[in-house]
Amino acid sequence: MSTANPPSGPSTKRILAVAKKDFKDAVQSRALWSLVSIFVLLLLATTYAYVELPEMFGPTDQATFGGLLFFTVGITGLFIPLAAIIVCFKSLAGERELGSIKILLSLPVTRSDILFGKLLGRAAVLTTGLAVGLVLGLGFGAVLLGSLDALGLLLFLFATIFFVAVYVSIIVGLSAATGSTTRATTFAVGFFVVFELIWDVVPLGVVYLLNGLSMPTEFPDWVFLIAQLSPSGAYFTSVIALLPDAAADLGVAVSGTGMNVDPVDAEPFYVTPEVGLVALFLWLIVPMLVGYRVFTTADM
Amino acid sequence: MPAIEIDGLSKHFGEVVAVNDLNLTVEEGEIFGFLGPNGAGKSTTIDIILDFIRPTAGSVKVLGYDAQDESLDVRRRTGVLPDAYHVYDRLTGRQHLEFAIELKESDEEPIAMLERVGIADAADRNAGGYSKGMKQRLVMAIALVGDPDLLILDEPSTGLDPNGAKEMRDIILEENERGTTVFFSSHVMEQVEAVCDRVAIINRGQLVAVDSVAGLRSATDSRETIYLQVEQLSDEILSQIEGVAGVEHATIDDGRIRIGIGDRPKFRVLEEIDRIVTIEDFSVVTSSLSDLFIQYTNEEQEVRA
Repeated sequence: MSTANPPSGPSTKRILAVAKKDFKDAVQSRALWSLVSIFVLLLLATTYAYVELPEMFGPTDQATFGGLLFFTVGITGLFIPLAAIIVCFKSLAGERELGSIKILLSLPVTRSDILFGKLLGRAAVLTTGLAVGLVLGLGFGAVLLGSLDALGLLLFLFATIFFVAVYVSIIVGLSAATGSTTRATTFAVGFFVVFELIWDVVPLGVVYLLNGLSMPTEFPDWVFLIAQLSPSGAYFTSVIALLPDAAADLGVAVSGTGMNVDPVDAEPFYVTPEVGLVALFLWLIVPMLVGYRVFTTADM
Repeated sequence: MPAIEIDGLSKHFGEVVAVNDLNLTVEEGEIFGFLGPNGAGKSTTIDIILDFIRPTAGSVKVLGYDAQDESLDVRRRTGVLPDAYHVYDRLTGRQHLEFAIELKESDEEPIAMLERVGIADAADRNAGGYSKGMKQRLVMAIALVGDPDLLILDEPSTGLDPNGAKEMRDIILEENERGTTVFFSSHVMEQVEAVCDRVAIINRGQLVAVDSVAGLRSATDSRETIYLQVEQLSDEILSQIEGVAGVEHATIDDGRIRIGIGDRPKFRVLEEIDRIVTIEDFSVVTSSLSDLFIQYTNEEQEVRA
């Protein structure tokens, strides 16, 4: 009867089927669209402020589209993690807790199809919300500036969608690791607190202690390296790597620490913005693998 | 080739033994009832058949495929109505069916499937707003997608009114006539008696009986149940009655004495009991599967305890 050994791994067709269904479901999240509205308002306000008063934000008094992109990164860097948590924390744990996963698993799909379909579907939902915000925000900015840097925009979008994929991978991966939404919430919020809220503070605190309870005038290079390793730090440095001219315009540099530091003063390796891209890549792959490992072997 | 072949199956959850060395074969084309009280291990067994959970020991073959290694093939040919499922609240009935049809690589019309289970008029409403019975019908429609060779139904009449339960039975019979093997679990005996060719009774993770409905009944024919209304009732009297030849068991049930009689004329037995305590009234009940079920599960437990 069984003629060939069936593939038990993922299949593009099934992944797309799961992703499509998941998109239709999750795109209806009210919480996501509330967050998108806040995102849009914030984007419009900062765009207006930057274009009208560029000298308050950087060394030049000429607002540029590249500069605007950096302002946007400051906001997307917060919006994307929060939106990913809202859209993804229940993605698998919720289905297991409620039992809808039983309908899914009763059909001919493998667990890896489900995991990858979820990643794709939720990333598409997040990108949709983000696109609405960016079209409005950056469109508004382009109109005010009367110019648009197409290549810069493209590179910015590349880094930003990469960052969306990274955060979706992290939160879906965490959600895949448990069958309880309470635990999934703890994981997601815990991750955000550790890697986004206190990540920059801890190395600074260590420096402060090592320096005899005072802030040094020169920071050791490793502080910058560490700061780049959080997902949003990596996102920020990736954008610097991709848009070096615009970064120079604004006087921003590798500084997940929130302090402006001239990159030429520091050791090249630690502050190479490309490290951000590598870190982002690892953040994309590792949580996915952890989620895959747990989800494909767990009892549902 | 059997539709389902369960061989030495065990599943432990930590210290709890949910299924204990279960052996069971379901033949192709039959309607097989899987009975047991809540917590007996029915859903755990079904979950292993569908590879929702992995067994501690033993193996399961479904339609010739290994349930663990070839689960995708199993689910291509199987329709499932799972237990304790939840529909996608924000998707419509039609969208549920579209998804199932796409994954089963089938070509049915979603609306035709919904018509079959009687909820076509709710096709474009979000399933979150469906009643329990409508959700059950929706998931049944999903199970029927792709004309499966095997239907696995976990408590199919849950949430249905008597009319709905009857429609569900009709669908089961219809599918079976088209050659589909049906395996369904229930704790409602009437459902099972009405449609099943064969029945397995499971309790505490172990198989206690497998037979045809008629076979199970004939096993109990020799031990008809008699209810006695007696003048007075006490443990002393009960133990005396238990000592009467031909009485297989005696219990107090709702102020009456319930006895099972073996190989001895009923009349003789009653005469003898009447000498112990005056019988005011009595009624004879032919064992239904229900009694048998209670006997197999409750009394087995008491015996073992």
